[in-house]
Amino acid sequence: MRDRIEDLALAGPGILLLALAFVLPITEMLRLSIVGADGGLTVEHFARFLTDSYYLGIVWRTIYLSVLITMICAVIGFPLAYVMARVRPGLRLWLIVLIILPLMTSVVVRTFGWMVLLGRGGLVPFTFWKLGFVGRNFTLMHTEAAIVIGMVQVLLPFTTLSILGVVMKIDRRLEEASRTMGASFFATLRTVILPLAMPGILAGSLLAFTLSVSSFVTPSLLGGVRLPVVAASIYDAATKTLEWNFAAAQSVILLVGVLLALTPYIKLSGRRHG
Amino acid sequence: MATLELNQIVKSFGSVDVLHGISLTIESGQFVSLLGPSGCGKTTLLRIIAGLENVTRGGLRIAGRDVTNVPPEDRDIAMMFQSYALLPHMSVRENVRFPLRMRKRGTRSEQDQRVQAALETVQLGHLADRMPRQLSGGQQQRVALARAIVSDPKILLLDEPLSNLDARLREDMQVELIELHRRLGLTTVFVTHDQEEALSLSDTVVLMNAGRIEQVGAPQEIYAAPRTSFASEFIGSANLIPVKVGETATGAQAILPSGEIISVAPGSEPCQKAHLILRQEDIKLQPVQTAVQNGFRATVETRVFLGARIRYVLRLGDLRIKCLAPGTDIFSPGDPVAVSVPESRAQIIEA
Repeated sequence: MRDRIEDLALAGPGILLLALAFVLPITEMLRLSIVGADGGLTVEHFARFLTDSYYLGIVWRTIYLSVLITMICAVIGFPLAYVMARVRPGLRLWLIVLIILPLMTSVVVRTFGWMVLLGRGGLVPFTFWKLGFVGRNFTLMHTEAAIVIGMVQVLLPFTTLSILGVVMKIDRRLEEASRTMGASFFATLRTVILPLAMPGILAGSLLAFTLSVSSFVTPSLLGGVRLPVVAASIYDAATKTLEWNFAAAQSVILLVGVLLALTPYIKLSGRRHG
Repeated sequence: MATLELNQIVKSFGSVDVLHGISLTIESGQFVSLLGPSGCGKTTLLRIIAGLENVTRGGLRIAGRDVTNVPPEDRDIAMMFQSYALLPHMSVRENVRFPLRMRKRGTRSEQDQRVQAALETVQLGHLADRMPRQLSGGQQQRVALARAIVSDPKILLLDEPLSNLDARLREDMQVELIELHRRLGLTTVFVTHDQEEALSLSDTVVLMNAGRIEQVGAPQEIYAAPRTSFASEFIGSANLIPVKVGETATGAQAILPSGEIISVAPGSEPCQKAHLILRQEDIKLQPVQTAVQNGFRATVETRVFLGARIRYVLRLGDLRIKCLAPGTDIFSPGDPVAVSVPESRAQIIEA
């Protein structure tokens, strides 16, 4: 028989770790964000961020890039997950390994790979140039396209695996039934599989979006200093200009933004499960 | 309504042959059962008719049109699955409308009318707005049936649709299926491993074993005149006794391994190796003092009380013979009994 004390004893280390590593820093961050230079309470850091068009531009860029990245991940991830769910188990294992393998290498390494591929004379621009799509050699580095490409590669596994989990549970006979009722393969995909996979697509997109808005390494390396995102701006404030209170305020804004994005998603997926 | 012609259909999964050249013609409006033990290929054959499996060789025609390489959605068939396969994200009404929507049959309001009519047919008109998960198994099955008939398919395919229902519901559904078939006259192919179901529902029974057709015929014919030892054992689980067949002035006689001689149905050719088929319900048991007419004496080994009837397992030398006796004939294990067999019901088939 377990009772409450034993439960507490078992969960204790985890709860303690969470408290130390999550609650404490977040509390400290919240405190810092509202402390002024004189030690009194203030909203000046928030006001500075939210009234400066430079920072609002950063927020806007972070949001629309994240939405774009999330959408691309879902659009690529859903058919990929469907195929993975429907191939024979041996092949599926290899596909999963193939999807997970990039996660085994550091984000820095992978991003550096993209820098090589996307830079001037790199494989991608060079191929475009030689095929005649563009007039001269060019670089894709330090563009929003580079950020999107790099981030999609980083986040695609998360989206795909989330969707895969749900598609695997869809009864194959539903597809067969749909086919015998006059629906073509693509009509079946649209009217049967897509709606039933929606919880997975929502969960995967949520994951991709939250990871995307708070990502730092890939956007910084591929986008460069002229295309900062919120996480990079926080990093700059914390390490270069040493404005910790301002960095804390930006962090709070990012945190609240993510939570706001989470709410409708959770409501939506909660309703679907209910 | 349409004829269905299967021509030399062969199906292999890798190196395993599941169907060895099945040829069969099903006339328009017939109710045909594919009957056989699990693994005999009956479900694979149904899936081939539906277009859910490709044939390895051979071909098939529906209403005269070659559909061998036509995808399922263009075959104009309807299939009812064992698990019903209702679309869980759609209401009952949307499920039943689905085939009409996908086949673009009629306007929205015409579709509504047909959906309602199909639901009324299965007595579920009042549940149209429920979701499938809110229905009982029997109701889900009726929805699946409504969905199968709503588009007026050329051929209706049923894959063991009654096997998930409890005994009473199954009997009700059997009656409904018969009535529905009589009313709509749809060419129907029904897969089952339940011989009673096959015999009671169909115009024609196709008995399958190990990827081949063993026998095709009307239920009475399959039951009364099995052509192979498999057919006789599978249908009604008859006794199969190895015998020699001899001929005398009065007719054919079978010689049992233990030496007893039984007169058998006329027309049996003499031979050294044959099987005597004795249906369980044709064997008559009497107290051992009774004079045996065309039969032998045996010992009761086991008694199983079944309600209206009692199943006895008899022993005769090395043979075990099953028989079904009326519930009033009481013998105990160990009792000797007189066994008699009506001559006309003792069939001989070649071994």
